[in-house]
Amino acid sequence: MIPSLGNFSLWLALFFSIFQFIISHKKNKHSVLQFNKIATNGLLLCVLISFFSLMYSHVVSDFSVTNVFQNSHTTKPLLYKISGVWGNHEGSMLLWILVLTIFNYFIYKLYNQKNYIFISKSLEVQAIITIGFLFFIIFTSNPFERMIPAPPNGLGFNPLLQDPALAIHPPLLYIGYVGFSAAFSFSVATMSVSAKEKIPWYTYIKPFALVAWTFLSVGIAFGSIWAYYELGWGGWWFWDPVENASFMPWLLGTALVHSLITVEKRKSLQSWVLLLSILAFLLSVIGTFLVRSGILTSVHTFALDPARGVYILTFITLLGGYSLILFGIKSKNFLNKHYFSIFSREGTILVNNVLMITVCASVFLGTIYPLLIEVFSNNKISVGEPYFNSTTIPIMIPAILVMGIGPMLSWNKVNTTKILKKSFPSVLLSIIISGIFFWVYRHYNILGLAGIVLAFWIMSNILLALTQQLIAKNNKFIQGSTPKYSSGMIMAHLGIALLILGITGSSMWQKEKIMRMKTSDNTTIHNYNIIFKEINKITGSNYIALQGNFWIYDKKNNIIAKLKPENRVYPVTNNTTTEASIHTNLLRDLYIVLGEGDINNGWVIRIYYNPLVIWIWIGAFMIFLGGLFSIKNSLKFIKRLTL
Amino acid sequence: MTRTFSLSILIVIITIFFLKTNIYSVEPEEFLENPKQELKARNISKNIRCLVCQNQSIDESTASLAKDLRILIRKKIKEGYTEDEVYKFLTDRYGDFILLRPPFKKSTIVLWFLPFVFLSIGIFVLFWHHKKSKRKLL
Amino acid sequence: MRKQLLIFPSIIFFFVLLVFFYLLLIDRDPKEIPSALIEKKVPNFETQSLLSNKKFISMEEFGYKTTIVNFFATWCKPCREEHRYIKRLSNEKDIKIIGINYKDNSQRTIKWLKELGNPYSNIAIDSNGQIGIDWGVYGIPETFIVNAEGIIKYRHVGPITKKIYDNFYLKIIENKK
Repeated sequence: MIPSLGNFSLWLALFFSIFQFIISHKKNKHSVLQFNKIATNGLLLCVLISFFSLMYSHVVSDFSVTNVFQNSHTTKPLLYKISGVWGNHEGSMLLWILVLTIFNYFIYKLYNQKNYIFISKSLEVQAIITIGFLFFIIFTSNPFERMIPAPPNGLGFNPLLQDPALAIHPPLLYIGYVGFSAAFSFSVATMSVSAKEKIPWYTYIKPFALVAWTFLSVGIAFGSIWAYYELGWGGWWFWDPVENASFMPWLLGTALVHSLITVEKRKSLQSWVLLLSILAFLLSVIGTFLVRSGILTSVHTFALDPARGVYILTFITLLGGYSLILFGIKSKNFLNKHYFSIFSREGTILVNNVLMITVCASVFLGTIYPLLIEVFSNNKISVGEPYFNSTTIPIMIPAILVMGIGPMLSWNKVNTTKILKKSFPSVLLSIIISGIFFWVYRHYNILGLAGIVLAFWIMSNILLALTQQLIAKNNKFIQGSTPKYSSGMIMAHLGIALLILGITGSSMWQKEKIMRMKTSDNTTIHNYNIIFKEINKITGSNYIALQGNFWIYDKKNNIIAKLKPENRVYPVTNNTTTEASIHTNLLRDLYIVLGEGDINNGWVIRIYYNPLVIWIWIGAFMIFLGGLFSIKNSLKFIKRLTL
Repeated sequence: MTRTFSLSILIVIITIFFLKTNIYSVEPEEFLENPKQELKARNISKNIRCLVCQNQSIDESTASLAKDLRILIRKKIKEGYTEDEVYKFLTDRYGDFILLRPPFKKSTIVLWFLPFVFLSIGIFVLFWHHKKSKRKLL
Repeated sequence: MRKQLLIFPSIIFFFVLLVFFYLLLIDRDPKEIPSALIEKKVPNFETQSLLSNKKFISMEEFGYKTTIVNFFATWCKPCREEHRYIKRLSNEKDIKIIGINYKDNSQRTIKWLKELGNPYSNIAIDSNGQIGIDWGVYGIPETFIVNAEGIIKYRHVGPITKKIYDNFYLKIIENKK
């Protein structure tokens, strides 16, 4: 009964979304408002019912529902029965739609006396997107399909996906992608409506763009965290096509949130904001397409029908074609005659835009190039990590340099000598700190040097900015001329600095040791002594495992940690996984993986010494916090508008 | 629905297929005695795609084909093959697909060249903007 | 000038979409890799023969008759399922089928063939997979068509199934000429 309720709610949601689309064409202002109230509330309610019906079916293990049968099993722990709802194609599409309707509702809540036309148009565009996804899910990917007779148990579930980080990864990403849908709708609405209402449209875009970017950042971070501790090689980014699919909207999102600042403060870069809003969303949907169409294989792809791919692609063509053509025609109305110099805060944001788009274009090229080659020749090639590293890192370096100095510049043109004067303290500071760093560590290579210096460059600039603000607080004379730094920016930029620190440390100075060890053997890695104490058989909730016990001693023979890597077998799906065991501190991770072997010959043991890894996650978290602060500030503005 | 179902079953079978045989990535027994040669082997392996995995190199992979290729590469290095000769040996048999770093060929000129073009366009945009603003702000 | 700038990305957008549409609509397996050995001479190799005491010398096996080369193993489930189609192919006149036993146990293979039937005129033992590597094999079963001049003309990856049989058979006929 519940699954039928879920399916019925989906159909009802479709009708509400069509209703929302149609009513925006009515002339009567009052009735449009009322009808939109019905539409947005109804949509949200229906999708909530549908989503929780699916969740209910998973939790009670109703195997008459095909989706539950294919992805669940009675022995799955409750947490993963719940996250299993979105760990498959159909359920994850339902989650997409849920987030879409939640944001749809929030857009509706923004209605006030002054923005009626604008919000109505935005709701119309949002309705089209929702209709598209609802059609897709109902007709090609319905999670409520039934199986008669209901089998006694399900196909189990990939044990690799039974993990807290991976459970939360999709919802965070979808908030990101869907947030961009709101920016998209506002952008199209801005260009479609005449200037009858003087709307600060960018003030509406800003909170949604920030939410999207913030949650996309943390969603990507969780994916990487998972890869790091689950996949067993201490790696956390593989330039896999689907990772790229989330990275590209992030890059455009970064350009977008920065451009929104200039539009707000200086009214420039308006057409950039409009275009970036469109492109970020289009790339999000193209990413969805790449994962689910079966057009390429990657770690993430759901095994799917090309038929579904054709549907999504058609949807992208219509949506993208319409919005880009609209942009082509209307963007000239948003050209602003305000010219700014490159050597100013605005200028650095423009530089940032250009660089982010360049990286995005290169990543896009590398991702689809194998497909292009396949079409135009009979050959197949791979475009892997070496390509992406070579093309993105050289461009990120100047971007980071600019990122340091940018916020320190004023909005007006700054002449070059003043820039040098302003940046001199931080240049000095970064050199000093980097010098100390290398004096302590004594490992040099060019990229490593670059990474460390860049990280400290950002941090020095932030330190300088904070000092300036502190001085200005207590000195009324200079309060006026000191630029105010937003807390969001400080935190997010600091986060990037820490991220770079962590990335550089873990990539450049990783140490690896692979050897065969028997119990009571010992080995050393970077001043640590590691003893393989024993090996045991253990049982978990739905697996049995072989667990190794390793004792780690430091130089002074104090015991630091006892690491217990495992090899697990899940009897239901007959999968085997390895669980690395990691000891973390601020300076390094010690990471041990248990390979195959036996009591007579010993086991293959892989030990990694990964310096500074934790700073990657700390940095990502700071970026998230910075984003949250910025969202809070941008909501203040919207509140003022909608009162 | 049934097509998706059978497709997923097929994928599960194929993966079990390659997981079940053995679960080794680079094993200590594979290491060459000469550390310089071993380093060369590791660097080459990091650039060779595991053909039965999803986007991994043979250096990281636990598949048996990956292991066979690792052993083969070390054998060739011991026989005195240069890095390029090892790559040629592999691409003669498996095509360019096996290289994670795309080769420099007629067909990949666009791939390697376009990022420069993108950057140049970007720099040009900045320059053009700078020129315009100089004129207007004077 | 701006208008022209904007038209360019739109063209790229539609071009990329066209490529995607094309790839979706043709029948392709994204995981399949085209063989690098098509139109090249058969690799030379020498190894043990499974069912006789003589050595298996590749030079002696190719170059006079259209030959099917089938990589198989007893531990490979799809190989077991395709075996009846290999047997059916062995009825075709003027061709012969060579089996290459890939990373297997010889005793088990002999039993397997006794149970399922032996369509192979000769069977080579590839104990460590190196012959497979020379043929660019990445996932068995794989079946090659070699023409009478010893040139590899076609490779099929995966089992020969009912659906694929007719197409494969036609490919053989094509290359018999």
